[in-house]
Amino acid sequence: MLFWQDPQFGNRMITMMAAMVLVLQIMMVTQRWLITSIRAFALQSFLLACIANTIAYYNNAPHIYAAAVLMLLVKVILLPVVFERLVSRIEIRQEIEPLVNAPISVIVAGLLTLLAYVVAESLHRPDEPMGPASLGHNTLAVAIALFLIGFFMMVNRRKALTQVLALLSLENGIFLAAISLTYGMPMIVEIGIFFDVLVGAMVLAILVFRIRETFDSMDVSRLSRLKG
Amino acid sequence: MTIIILLLIPLAACGLTTVMRTRQWMEAIHLLGAAASFGAAFMLAAEVLRQGPVSSINGLLYADHLSALVALLTAFVSLACAPYAVGYLRRDQALLFLAPSDDEHAVLAKLRMYYSLTQLFVFCMFLVVTSNNLGVMWIAIEGTTLASIFLVTFYGRPTSLEAAWKYAMIGGVGLSMALFGTVLTYYSAHLVLGGDSVSALNWSVLVVQASHFDKAVMRLAFILILLGFGTKAGLAPMHTWKPDAYNEAPVPIAALMATAVLNCAIYGLARFYVLTVRCLGTAFASNLLILFGLLSVGVAVPFILMQRSSRRLLAYSSIDNGGIMVLGLGFGGALGALAMLLHMTYHSVTKPLLFFSVGNIQQHTGNDSLRKGARGLVHVLPISAPMFLLGALAVTGTPPFSMFQSEFMVLRAGFAGEHAGVSILLVVCLVIIFCGFFNHVAQLVLGPPSGAPLEPKSRWKTYPVIGLALLVIALGFVMPAPLYHLVDGAARVLAVPQ
Repeated sequence: MLFWQDPQFGNRMITMMAAMVLVLQIMMVTQRWLITSIRAFALQSFLLACIANTIAYYNNAPHIYAAAVLMLLVKVILLPVVFERLVSRIEIRQEIEPLVNAPISVIVAGLLTLLAYVVAESLHRPDEPMGPASLGHNTLAVAIALFLIGFFMMVNRRKALTQVLALLSLENGIFLAAISLTYGMPMIVEIGIFFDVLVGAMVLAILVFRIRETFDSMDVSRLSRLKG
Repeated sequence: MTIIILLLIPLAACGLTTVMRTRQWMEAIHLLGAAASFGAAFMLAAEVLRQGPVSSINGLLYADHLSALVALLTAFVSLACAPYAVGYLRRDQALLFLAPSDDEHAVLAKLRMYYSLTQLFVFCMFLVVTSNNLGVMWIAIEGTTLASIFLVTFYGRPTSLEAAWKYAMIGGVGLSMALFGTVLTYYSAHLVLGGDSVSALNWSVLVVQASHFDKAVMRLAFILILLGFGTKAGLAPMHTWKPDAYNEAPVPIAALMATAVLNCAIYGLARFYVLTVRCLGTAFASNLLILFGLLSVGVAVPFILMQRSSRRLLAYSSIDNGGIMVLGLGFGGALGALAMLLHMTYHSVTKPLLFFSVGNIQQHTGNDSLRKGARGLVHVLPISAPMFLLGALAVTGTPPFSMFQSEFMVLRAGFAGEHAGVSILLVVCLVIIFCGFFNHVAQLVLGPPSGAPLEPKSRWKTYPVIGLALLVIALGFVMPAPLYHLVDGAARVLAVPQ
């Protein structure tokens, strides 16, 4: 048997890529350059597509390949291209100071990862036979961590575009949970979700552009007229 | 078959609107589309009443009493909004709100956007209630947000951008939580059902097996679903997008959001509630629902008392009523479910009346402030202003209006379910809300004439108000038997055998 056919090898590969996904997420928390954030997001999505391919290969689940292809098209190619164009059109390159500064942000991200492991541990079923659940142990924790850190990023960041990226990376966490727990959702649901993500991101990009034109800034803390 | 027709009508109307070149045609298609959707929803309800749940396309679409009821309510609100929207947008055009000058082309583009997106919005809501697959249901709920964002920014003011941004971001995070909850529900069912078939996320399949689901996973899933769909329903503390969005959107869209979307979100929550209760027993889910329901009613109290704008007042009233519905569901039992659905039905008839009359007031006086300026509006708007007062009395649950009955029933369910403390708190909140509401509205409507000019006559804008008012009064005294059977059947879907 060749070494890459060993499920153990696959498992290690998945764990390693999931760890890199998490590292990228924490990097995005502290990143101030918009272009770098967008590329980190694209790389993260690419790694997730690789994880999906690996899971599909070792579990003979062909429909996960489709999810991986959708991921590649939508989140690795299309959306980053749209966002980079948007950045060059609105001529804002750098994030302003976030609410919580970088060192504390990293600590918060670390604590959230810890919390994610605690939650994932309570859902772990060691007595489950081999299958998606056995892959799910570490990856589920990473998925929950992505979700929580994405949530933190949305609250912490003030540029409209960074908030959109945070929302999308939070959705990456859900994607990871779905493929690692259950071999992905049924096909029709998968396609629908990607369609929603695509349309949603486009709508948000238009909104970002219009906010920039109207307020001459992308700083969402200027959006504070409506009260009560 | 009826389900497919119900879904196709708004889609067709949306498509046709985008290619029309004159305002008359767009209006005609919009009105026809709304009427035909209502007809289809009516037929679907009749079919469900006659022969029980129906399904279509290999069980992908499924309608039981609950779906039929919510679809009927959605179609009803959309039907009421259609003629009103025609009058409202014509007046907007005259006031030059749609385009800076009377630029024919820009106005037509705006109208086309309104009429086509509204139909798409309605289509998504029909898909929410008729999809059997919980994943597709999530997609449709997200679709309602996407379809309505550009309706919130319709007037292109800086404040509408702000409202739309809040709506999109808070809604986006909320719905991603709901998606995580859906994934986890699928996982907990996956352990039992196995297989990757599409049907493994079908509600009608899951509900039979729910007692075998993994309990720890299901618990986490329900919390996420409650937070997610609760955001969409505008339960406190995730309600902050609601007053802004209702304030900025055109009035008919605000009316649709305050009733039909609220119903759809609570519908989604109720579907998962049934699964959770079958898996974990009533206590866990009910306590969470009661917590969020009571919080929503409680949060509405100070904001209604201190409110400055009548549109925002209505938004907080909608948060309050969403809270009452969730409380009814949380109190549980056959009575609680019935109370919730009756409240949903009555609310869907009453709330559009309030929005329409406020819309008329706002378009005529130029602002919707409760504090400054306008007094004695009854002399200026002889139909809309008294109807606003009537609607305000109805929505705060004054007898003999129907919402009194449903609120009373929620309270009865609370006492029967041994939640006496919560019920008493609810009564206190409802009384304060009534006082605040009545104080604001009476000051606005009653009083000596201010000498302002009389409202110009517009049939499109007054007939929907009169029609809804008649319906609100009639529902206080008579409940049509078939409608009651439908509500009762829907309550049976939600009531879980102990």
